[in-house]
Amino acid sequence: MASRVTTESPVHAASGGVGPAAGHAGSATVPALRRRPSGLALALPALVLLLAFFALPVVLFLARSVTEPQPGFQNYAALFGGPTYLRILLNTFIVGGVVTAVTALLAFPVAWALAIMPPRWSALLFGIIVLSMWTNLLARTYAWMVLLQQTGVINRMLQALGIIDEPLRLVNNLVGVTIGMVYIMLPFMILPLTGVIRKIDPMILQAASLCGATRGQAFRRILLPLAAPGLAAGGLMVFVMSLGYFVTPALLGGTSNMMMGQLVAQQVQSLTNWGLGAAAAFVLLAVTLLLYAMQIRLLGRPEGMR
Amino acid sequence: MIPPFLHINGLRKTYGPVVATEHVELSIKEGEFMTFLGPSGSGKSTTLYILAGFQDPDTGDIRLRGRSILGVPSHKRNIGMVFQRYTLFPHLSVGENVAFPLRVRRLPQAEITRKVRRALELVRLGGFEERKPASLSGGQQQRVALARALVYDPPVLLMDEPLSALDKKLREEIQYEIRRIHRETGVTILYVTHDQEEALRLSDRIAIFNAGRIEQVGTGAELYTSPATHFVADFIGDSSFLDGTIAAVEGRCADLRLGDGTLARRIPLHAPGRPGQRAELMLRPERIELSPDPGPDGASLPVLVQDVTFLGNITDVVALTAWNAPVTVRLGFMHPLSGRLTRGDRLWIRWAAETVHAFPRD
Repeated sequence: MASRVTTESPVHAASGGVGPAAGHAGSATVPALRRRPSGLALALPALVLLLAFFALPVVLFLARSVTEPQPGFQNYAALFGGPTYLRILLNTFIVGGVVTAVTALLAFPVAWALAIMPPRWSALLFGIIVLSMWTNLLARTYAWMVLLQQTGVINRMLQALGIIDEPLRLVNNLVGVTIGMVYIMLPFMILPLTGVIRKIDPMILQAASLCGATRGQAFRRILLPLAAPGLAAGGLMVFVMSLGYFVTPALLGGTSNMMMGQLVAQQVQSLTNWGLGAAAAFVLLAVTLLLYAMQIRLLGRPEGMR
Repeated sequence: MIPPFLHINGLRKTYGPVVATEHVELSIKEGEFMTFLGPSGSGKSTTLYILAGFQDPDTGDIRLRGRSILGVPSHKRNIGMVFQRYTLFPHLSVGENVAFPLRVRRLPQAEITRKVRRALELVRLGGFEERKPASLSGGQQQRVALARALVYDPPVLLMDEPLSALDKKLREEIQYEIRRIHRETGVTILYVTHDQEEALRLSDRIAIFNAGRIEQVGTGAELYTSPATHFVADFIGDSSFLDGTIAAVEGRCADLRLGDGTLARRIPLHAPGRPGQRAELMLRPERIELSPDPGPDGASLPVLVQDVTFLGNITDVVALTAWNAPVTVRLGFMHPLSGRLTRGDRLWIRWAAETVHAFPRD
């Protein structure tokens, strides 16, 4: 089918170049030539693969939330009925929110720097950021544990400098989870944000300055609104990924701020309670889809997903 | 003595080893329309950016009403500017774009509404308040930019080739609008362009920039009738230049020996020259006469018609001298020879001594 397309296009191109008469003759046959194969047949093997090995298992897993231990909505009733699980649900959103906010705050200046740097330097910085993404997640998280623990490098250094007397509690709490997750999430915020900021003409900011805007006013009234689609795309990505995160909260978080991902793992792995685990997973999926729908509604489809 | 309204004094700016602009010296009167005209890279935009505060000069000063503005950051200079590219804020409506300078100045809402309406009416875009910039044509966008730059009544308006992205017809239309707005507001305008026709059409005075320096400042007529340098003569109006040697100097005039031995008599000199020095004779195409007969001795040359181009109201004739130097002659539609010339015709060019110039070579 692909070969059909390539043989057609020269014919079409030639008909335009010959002259007005030839152009007319060509245009009569255009509707037939223009009709493109839908490509469904080409995509079919991939679709079958996706359905069989991706969609189907997810559906089967999620179905367990209403079939185990017996048919009904008792798993959802348990999830939303008692304070224990609601607390975990709430905590998941708090961590996701804090991580997203801190990531956005740190990513913005980096994305701005990447956008205005000379191309050679920004390519280097880009490389470093991407390289960090390729480093093993577990290794990075353990590294943070070493740095942040009571007798870790950071606490020792601050004590040696006399800045603190008692070691700070940096792990097994929200602080540890936030630091560890922000570090992992940063690239996912920086990349879309850089793309959006690059498209802003620097002249627009100069114009704002001549109009009388201070740097702060230009940032708030011009740069931030123009970068909003990037912030929204990155923010959604980071928030959604944070909601289901398991490794970092498990290693750097405390028992008092357990997240949904941990709950699913605990229910399925330790307690073999597939029903409740599947229900928790479904809640996460539903929230994600809802947020995505809201973003499309508010800002249109994010870049690259058109 | 009252200091000039705007005074640019000995400005110099370098980028590493490259001198962008130097020795820029200029006084501008209040309400004047001054154009910086020159080819790209001649330093005209650099000078404008220094005025806007986007760049700092290495040396020199700019004084507005006697006060230096160099220490004042862009956002406090209170200068208006229209840019080459469209710089409207894409996320704000037309009304909010124009209101922006007033909002950052924290003016009361009622005053903002009133001033925005007045500014949009000035650029003939009343009723466009709710539109988004993307829904406007290029010409309309630049008019909104003009309203945004004028809404806070700046003492000086800078315009950096604001029409270069527009097509010719639209450009002329907006040139007319800019003239009207200048007349109605009385704002002092500094306008940068590389288009000599645009400069002549708009300006009270023109500063010709070349290689980082100002070559000459004057009204369009002054630059046309008495260009100070070869560059100005070449840049304003089309000119032909013929090589020659100074045969004799008499006061500020000289006799020039041309390539075929013809003596061109009593040609005004543009710089001191001495006998024996090489010099160029400048001929304006519309000020020389084409005729079947030779003129008075010392003010004509035999030529061979090389090319005839009919341009509607005028006809351009390229003719070669005896030593194969091209001279362009422009004939009006009513000229007796118009429409009757062909390549290979042998004719004479004739000039009046006061309409030609000689530029001695270094």
